[in-house]
Amino acid sequence: MSEDKPHQNLAVIGHVDHGKSTLVGRLLYETENVPEHVIEQHKEEAEEKGKGGFEFAYVMDNLAEERERGVTIDIAHQEFDTDEYYFTIVDCPGHRDFVKNMITGASQADNAVLVVAADDGVQPQTQEHVFLARTLGIDEMIIAVNKMDLVDYEQGRFEETKDEVGDLLNQVRFDTDSVKYIPVSAFEGDNIAEVSENTSWFDGETLLEALNALPEPEPPTDAPLRLPIQDVYTISGIGTVPVGRVETGLLNTGDNVSFQPSDVGGEVKTIEMHHEEVPQAEPGDNVGFNVRGIGKDDIRRGDVCGPADDPPSVAETFQAQVVVMQHPSVITAGYTPVFHAHTSQVACTIESIDKKIDSSTGEVAEENPDFIQSGDAAVVTVRPQKPLSIEPSSEIPELGSFAIRDMGQTIAAGKVLSVNER
Amino acid sequence: MGKVAAAIKVMPQSPEVDLDELQDRLEASLPEGAKIQGFDRDDVAFGLVALIPTVVVPDEAGGTEAVEDTFVDVEGVESVSVEDVGRL
Repeated sequence: MSEDKPHQNLAVIGHVDHGKSTLVGRLLYETENVPEHVIEQHKEEAEEKGKGGFEFAYVMDNLAEERERGVTIDIAHQEFDTDEYYFTIVDCPGHRDFVKNMITGASQADNAVLVVAADDGVQPQTQEHVFLARTLGIDEMIIAVNKMDLVDYEQGRFEETKDEVGDLLNQVRFDTDSVKYIPVSAFEGDNIAEVSENTSWFDGETLLEALNALPEPEPPTDAPLRLPIQDVYTISGIGTVPVGRVETGLLNTGDNVSFQPSDVGGEVKTIEMHHEEVPQAEPGDNVGFNVRGIGKDDIRRGDVCGPADDPPSVAETFQAQVVVMQHPSVITAGYTPVFHAHTSQVACTIESIDKKIDSSTGEVAEENPDFIQSGDAAVVTVRPQKPLSIEPSSEIPELGSFAIRDMGQTIAAGKVLSVNER
Repeated sequence: MGKVAAAIKVMPQSPEVDLDELQDRLEASLPEGAKIQGFDRDDVAFGLVALIPTVVVPDEAGGTEAVEDTFVDVEGVESVSVEDVGRL
């Protein structure tokens, strides 16, 4: 893909069976991003069997098969472009354990399409995904009210679904003013690329128009530098080389940097990316660099590199909003699971449960509850058992979210509200 | 529930680690149910090259954790991180 259009990571979220995959397939097809040979193969087989017409499900099956066979296994291949943007689909796997990867992984979504089936309405997973989208810092959401063909394109069913989703968005305090609702059938293609005659009562944008109208994501170059360290090497002839991905800000040679919580610093001598020396690295760049006066044992994985005059925060305690996704019993104060934030994994004690949030109203349901359990959202105060660098999500969202794991599962996810610095 | 593909970035312990051999060791270490569908290599910096196998695991198997845990114990591996996940 060329570089002449801005790029967006788009999450497609929603309840299982509400048609996420079909919608993705339809978007790829309508924007002519389904590999030609898949379409050709389909045409041939359709002709052999003596039936014409376009069977969308068949193309979808073929794509799935292809990917599994490894022909187009590259995960990043689910890409399509509109007039304005190149989109990469961040498909959200059903299993909750993958939430950890969504939070600590590279492909954080900028915006999202929420798929809700008109014949099924808001379901538990719809709620969970909307909350996660909010927690993961997704700015804009387009609501595709899908499977309109199954409800005979009835306006009433569309309005009902719209109201249900509106209530849900209000609960999690999503800015609902800019949210667009579009009645679609991913299977039949209504209102995806072209206005459908089946929904003559609808005068809004098609899905592709709405995607085109999304605001351009701003790379977080204005934020202070934050570069979580993945590994630290000793390279002969060079010295100590920390390696990691720039999350926010810019790393320049000559910069005076600080590593936290190890609390050491120095001047950046050289930066390399893809084995070439570069003067500057920006958000998303994977780099190795070396810093005057830093030895291999001075810094470690989980440290965050930032400017010496605006160093990464190190939390004595922090307050966070969490949602409990799965826990076999209850969570009480004193519970100490492992928090995964950027490249860091640190055992942290939930020192107090400050508020329980009612998920049906978004209001505080209980101050200082004794416990929380699966499905609950809460504000908690957390004390890391070892120094942890983390930031308020309102200031640096890239360094402000985490997954909580215990017993081999992701039990909760959350975002940092405030940091009480060490 | 289907299968999930994950791009897992494996950093070698040093630029001197033989990547072909490391690739074989990773392949041999896979837990049951997981399979590797191709390796990418990513030039990082100062001679360091990351191996990025695409690993396919069943969605219901509890994520990529089992694979991450085995990879990290493979000889010559410095660190393991999941770069990207997507459903098949």
